[in-house]
Amino acid sequence: MRNLPQGAAHLSFDGDALYAGRGPGRCFMVDARCLAGEPVRDAYAHVCALPAADASLEFDQPEIQQARRDALAWWIPLLGDALVCLTTLALDESRYGGAITVTRGPVAWSEDPFARIFPGCVLRTGLLSIVPPPPGPVLERYAGVAWPGGAF
Amino acid sequence: MTAATVNLEPGQRFPDLDLPDHTHRPRRLSELAGGDPLALLFSRGWWCPKEQRHLREVAAAQGEFEVAYARIVVVSIDSPEVQSAFRAGLGARFTFLSDADRGCMDRLDLLEVTDTTHRPYRPTAFTLHPDLTIHAVYDGYWYWGRPTVEELRQDMRAISRAVREDFRG
Repeated sequence: MRNLPQGAAHLSFDGDALYAGRGPGRCFMVDARCLAGEPVRDAYAHVCALPAADASLEFDQPEIQQARRDALAWWIPLLGDALVCLTTLALDESRYGGAITVTRGPVAWSEDPFARIFPGCVLRTGLLSIVPPPPGPVLERYAGVAWPGGAF
Repeated sequence: MTAATVNLEPGQRFPDLDLPDHTHRPRRLSELAGGDPLALLFSRGWWCPKEQRHLREVAAAQGEFEVAYARIVVVSIDSPEVQSAFRAGLGARFTFLSDADRGCMDRLDLLEVTDTTHRPYRPTAFTLHPDLTIHAVYDGYWYWGRPTVEELRQDMRAISRAVREDFRG
């Protein structure tokens, strides 16, 4: 993985737990704001990613664009106040490795549009912080940062 | 619009509104712009056929905004719950801001005085630079005064040309 673009941070996932920075398992780039604030203790993370190193798709494939549209249209409103933060998981400038939705409590995980890409698992975590949800309608990434992070 | 109160003219800075969105989250306009050009639409409310028609048009154009690093925000006096339902009905993926208590309306002097039942916003659209400087103003009291999608497209092009260093031509 190359140097981090501005607005990105590293997060690792080994199939059982999340780690800030380069930890065990796969290392992804996430929206840095998710790791920049006061962490929400005992949050729930729905991690729609696989530990396998080759589990990736191009970010610009239509099904991944549509998952982002669905997140803006109804997934984020459905979560309401439960939402802590949401970030896609980037492997580099072009490859998508998954997404994480973090909430304060259990929610209807089966509705997560990103679970259509890679199946989700629910973990407890105290790593991630509150980030205002993306206002939409922008789906594109900013200089390779994992959506919805970054800015020009 | 009585521009003298807050001077909502091209070249002036639009006030950084602080309102709840359609999910009740507090939002600031500058945060919603997020460094991108912004189309800011003041709307009467879900009940007005003109608003329904115009916002369907805007929602149909959101596919361009989603790939072009530009934002859309709608402000009305509807409650967040009503806005959320209206937004879903439109298929919109942009943010609605609720000024149900009309606190910003007074500050902006955008009350539509002819509708004494709803006391809604006078339909008015602004295209803004990322720093909220006003590029253009559209008085939509009469439907034909509203920005067409093509006018929004032209404004987003002009603003992007002005603020993106690598925008050529």
